[in-house]
Amino acid sequence: MHELLAVVVNALLAAGLYATMSYGLAVIYGVMRIINLAHAGILMLGAYVTLTLYDRFGLDPFLSLVLVAPLFFAIGFVLQRLLVRRLPSGGATPSMESLLLLFGLWLVLQNLAYAVWGGDTQSILTPYTMRAVDLAGVRVGVPNLLVFVAGAVCLLLLQLVVKRTNLGRAMRAVTQNRDAARLCGVDADRISAQAFGMGTALAAVAGGLLSTLYAFTPDFGRSFLLKAFCIIVLAGMESVVGVAVGAFVLAFLENALGAFTRVPTSFQDAVSFTLLVVALVVFPQGLPHAFRRVTPRRPALR
Amino acid sequence: MGPEPLLSVRGLSKRFDGLLALEGVDFDVAQGEIFGILGPNGAGKTTLFACLVGALAPSAGSVYFRGERIDGLPNHAVVGRGLVRTHQIVRPFREMTVTENVAIGAYFGSRGRGRGAREERVAGLLQRTGLAHRANTLAGTLTIGELKRLEIARALATEPAVICLDEVMGGLNPSEIRGAMELIRWVREEGVTVLMIEHHVHAVVGVSDRILMLDFGRKIAEGPPNAVVNDPAVVAAYLGDPALIGGGA
Amino acid sequence: MIGRHPRRRLVAAIAAALLLLLAPRVLARGMLNDIWSVAFAVVLASAWNLLGGLAGQVSIGYSAFLGIGAYTTALLALRGVEPYATLPLAALLGAAFSFVVGLPTFRLRGPYFTIATIGVGEAVRVFASGVSFTGGSSGIRMPPASFDFALNYTSMVVLAVAVVTLAAWLRGSPFGAALAAIRQDIDAAEALGINATRYKLAVHALSAALVAAAGSLFAINFQYISPGSVFDFRLSLSIVLMPIVGGVGTVAGPVWGAIVFSYLQIKMLSVPALRDSYLFLYGTLLILVMLFEPKGLLGLGKRLLRALRRPARVANGA
Repeated sequence: MHELLAVVVNALLAAGLYATMSYGLAVIYGVMRIINLAHAGILMLGAYVTLTLYDRFGLDPFLSLVLVAPLFFAIGFVLQRLLVRRLPSGGATPSMESLLLLFGLWLVLQNLAYAVWGGDTQSILTPYTMRAVDLAGVRVGVPNLLVFVAGAVCLLLLQLVVKRTNLGRAMRAVTQNRDAARLCGVDADRISAQAFGMGTALAAVAGGLLSTLYAFTPDFGRSFLLKAFCIIVLAGMESVVGVAVGAFVLAFLENALGAFTRVPTSFQDAVSFTLLVVALVVFPQGLPHAFRRVTPRRPALR
Repeated sequence: MGPEPLLSVRGLSKRFDGLLALEGVDFDVAQGEIFGILGPNGAGKTTLFACLVGALAPSAGSVYFRGERIDGLPNHAVVGRGLVRTHQIVRPFREMTVTENVAIGAYFGSRGRGRGAREERVAGLLQRTGLAHRANTLAGTLTIGELKRLEIARALATEPAVICLDEVMGGLNPSEIRGAMELIRWVREEGVTVLMIEHHVHAVVGVSDRILMLDFGRKIAEGPPNAVVNDPAVVAAYLGDPALIGGGA
Repeated sequence: MIGRHPRRRLVAAIAAALLLLLAPRVLARGMLNDIWSVAFAVVLASAWNLLGGLAGQVSIGYSAFLGIGAYTTALLALRGVEPYATLPLAALLGAAFSFVVGLPTFRLRGPYFTIATIGVGEAVRVFASGVSFTGGSSGIRMPPASFDFALNYTSMVVLAVAVVTLAAWLRGSPFGAALAAIRQDIDAAEALGINATRYKLAVHALSAALVAAAGSLFAINFQYISPGSVFDFRLSLSIVLMPIVGGVGTVAGPVWGAIVFSYLQIKMLSVPALRDSYLFLYGTLLILVMLFEPKGLLGLGKRLLRALRRPARVANGA
């Protein structure tokens, strides 16, 4: 029983991080119908920038998020204007051109990281990295707990922006129907740029959080990217809540596999890959859709 | 009704997540008929066609073609059995020429029926649909009227027993409409049974043997054209001024 | 569907093939090694193009098939089987695995299919590194006895010529027309009687078998394979980039892409400073192609030719 509690607690903590990491992808996909493979590159860069801020200026990785977020918002905004905007986007189905373009961008970012920071494995060691506390009888690492808190704060802020601000409303409108939103006076192109900036900022923040938990190299983003895909497919792109649920499902499966079976850790990544394929094939519109009750109704008005 | 109907639909329903697009639709179509389908926007007409050819699986009910139950079969399998449809919003293969487009239908749609002289068949169809002069042009450069005819030629190339025409007259001018009506009559003379969805009520009335009227996914009338257009339920559905329907061409 | 001047192209192709086959009498070993590498790249690029370019299904997981071919040959050779005799089995296993990948994923469309293939490719790599009978992450060394470079060279060149010929023939055939229809509008294709899934599975199997055969020849020529060398994601990447940069969907495009890539790679490996910059190169090429000329080098070439042929007319925009 204690084992199960440990799995749940650890999964919950991991889910906060996973959700933050995934939501950036979801925003960009929702508003622009673009699958942003460069997300992995941004995750990685966020980690490296956090590392540099820590090494050079002694800035605590959690505090530096305050700097990282706006910096990467600006970077994302500029990237959208420079590159992404020139492509056909916003159609009903995501385009292969944008997929491959952002893939190319990811490769360039990787090379950039190799050039600036080298290929050695890096990690961030703060005074509290090795400390642990007791949570409901389960021993958890301090960084894990802080990451969860940071992630949760991030998502709460996000919920606020999405539900309460005009930007959020405009984004939701464009996500649901780009043309209709434009007819209502929404500047869809500017919203796209802002959404891309937001997605990039979120990815960088997630990268910063990841840097406190894992060692990393420029090759770092790929498995997290696949996990993020898995989560947003499960979430059905519906809402922050959907992403949170999907994140928990994945985190729970990974932790349960590690705790209750003898599958070696190197195979655990395969969990997310397999789940991704399963999710795409079985739940193409996400879990919330699959569980929605279907009550027949006739069209209400002509 | 005489010999067994070629196409028989019983209790067909289709639900999308809480929206009931079709509800318990029944009808029969006899060999050689021209069968019109009318109804306001959103009545479920295109959904009906999609269910017939297997592009969508019905939520309930059955479709019988030549005595064989075909609901639930995939689209390509239904086409192989001789039932094909055109698309309301045309879907040409834009990077292929007109001839290549029609050839796709000829090569892959007709299974084991008349394999020989495919090219002749394609050329003949292009001739009959007035596309012969555009035979080697890329489909992406055609006008909407030409694209509609390409859609028909391509579907006919599959040598169907039944063809479902979905608003082929949409966006055509009056002389083009007359040309389309002639084409439809020719198709029937070739031995193909025709189902057609149309908004041009007078065109449908002018060409059909029988008409089915849908509203909100349900059948509200079925029978010879004059009976249907004068049916009070039909008149009400179109917010009816009787002069608007059946009075024109 | 066959391009203009098919006879001219056929003559050119035969001439090129003959030249390549006669090359060992004239060229130095170093150059022959380079030609082997280019031929290898041509096989991979052209084979991928059958599914990715003709049928329009972009898979970024092809290193799995390469690895399967390589490991089949290596493992059997270690048990005493004549390496070249393992080729048919390697190709067969590659095709068989393509069904494992294709059956669940071909339901997906466009980018979703692509992402699923990335997932599958990664899963295969993780599996191969972890399982012991493949020698784990340290790889396998082939039994040294029978290394015969002349044979290796000839077999790779022959395979390359065969693949390109197959691609050209396929493109002009009804099978190729079906693939083109599937690529342009899969629903419309199905609405005309094409069983899209069956065609996708078929071309995938053919493509995978060819890549697996190349993998076999790779193992035979390099004598040493490891999960890092044959199941690598970067390899899957290159396999995709070559035809895209060269001209996806055409016959000559993947060949040009393979030549350019191999050349660049050989040049870059010899300059120490540039050795790790291949990512930057691949990435920039992808970005440039997608932004400016999705039809790749071949598309660029055609545009230039058209511009050159009409110097007096005002350009109307491509």
